[in-house]
Amino acid sequence: MGQFRRSILASAAAQGHRDNRLLAALPPDTLALLGGDLKQVSLRQGAILLEPGDPVEDIYFPQTGLISLLVLGRDGGAIETATVGREGAVGLHGGLGGRRSFTRATTQIGGRFSTIRAKHFEHIANGSTPVRDLILRYTEVLLAAAQQITACNAMHGARPRLCRWLLQCADCTGRDELPLIQEFLAQMLGVRRTTVSLLAQGLRVRGLITYRRGRIVLLDRKGLEACACECYDIMRHEKLGPALGVHF
Amino acid sequence: MPMYYFHLYDDETIVDSDGTDLIDVGAAREHAAGVARELTANSTGFLDQNWSEWTMKVHDGSGLELFSLALSNFGNGNSGK
Repeated sequence: MGQFRRSILASAAAQGHRDNRLLAALPPDTLALLGGDLKQVSLRQGAILLEPGDPVEDIYFPQTGLISLLVLGRDGGAIETATVGREGAVGLHGGLGGRRSFTRATTQIGGRFSTIRAKHFEHIANGSTPVRDLILRYTEVLLAAAQQITACNAMHGARPRLCRWLLQCADCTGRDELPLIQEFLAQMLGVRRTTVSLLAQGLRVRGLITYRRGRIVLLDRKGLEACACECYDIMRHEKLGPALGVHF
Repeated sequence: MPMYYFHLYDDETIVDSDGTDLIDVGAAREHAAGVARELTANSTGFLDQNWSEWTMKVHDGSGLELFSLALSNFGNGNSGK
């Protein structure tokens, strides 16, 4: 196969990954470098990608799915501390060398993901300033988002947090119809499933969502934004980075 | 295990359509108190009504009301006791 043809094929492969905004932010020649090692996978809802203490062996860039990072309690409980959709990646710091996960990473919404072996990504990062910059910039944004969610969990009621979470999911996946079950929502918010059920019914009677077993449809985004806590606006993808002086 | 349903009432009714299976009424009381604490934490009300207007009524699978509790007894660090 000629070098020119290999270059075209590599570029075509790289194009398929541009649904992820981090990858799309890379210069085309840098993305082409990754192209041969980047794979596209489909992951189902509930897949566990990492447990606390696991070595980071793969990096995941969501395209249409959503990953939640959960801190686990000794009592078996868990609460979400970060949500990663098409604007981000999980395990990106693996590009700086051998790293271990602090949280459980689980697929909250199934879909398409780009993935690359952390060792390959590290090798490319060692020779690429744009890739290293990307890792550092995104890590800053992810830290800020996690800090905001920590404060949100402590300060805000379950209903505004639920509204915030639904809006973030819709933004991260690019869809207003979310395949979510109450048990997952309860885990994300750190409350009982009954609490989620009652709150969801309340949103439904106000016409903000429809809810059937396993699926939530956002009907009134403005209404949901009015009910959400201020954390939703603070953590919007297009606002949080610039607020930190970080641009992609 | 028996199913219990945790409905909210003021001028409106918010129905717990799915229910939760719990071992007995004692567990249902604990569950109800836990849900009440979660609903009222860092919150003054629900659906434009202050929590003082809301009551939770717990029913068994046949629709029989077993007990109720006032949401006004929760929130602001109150345990409902």
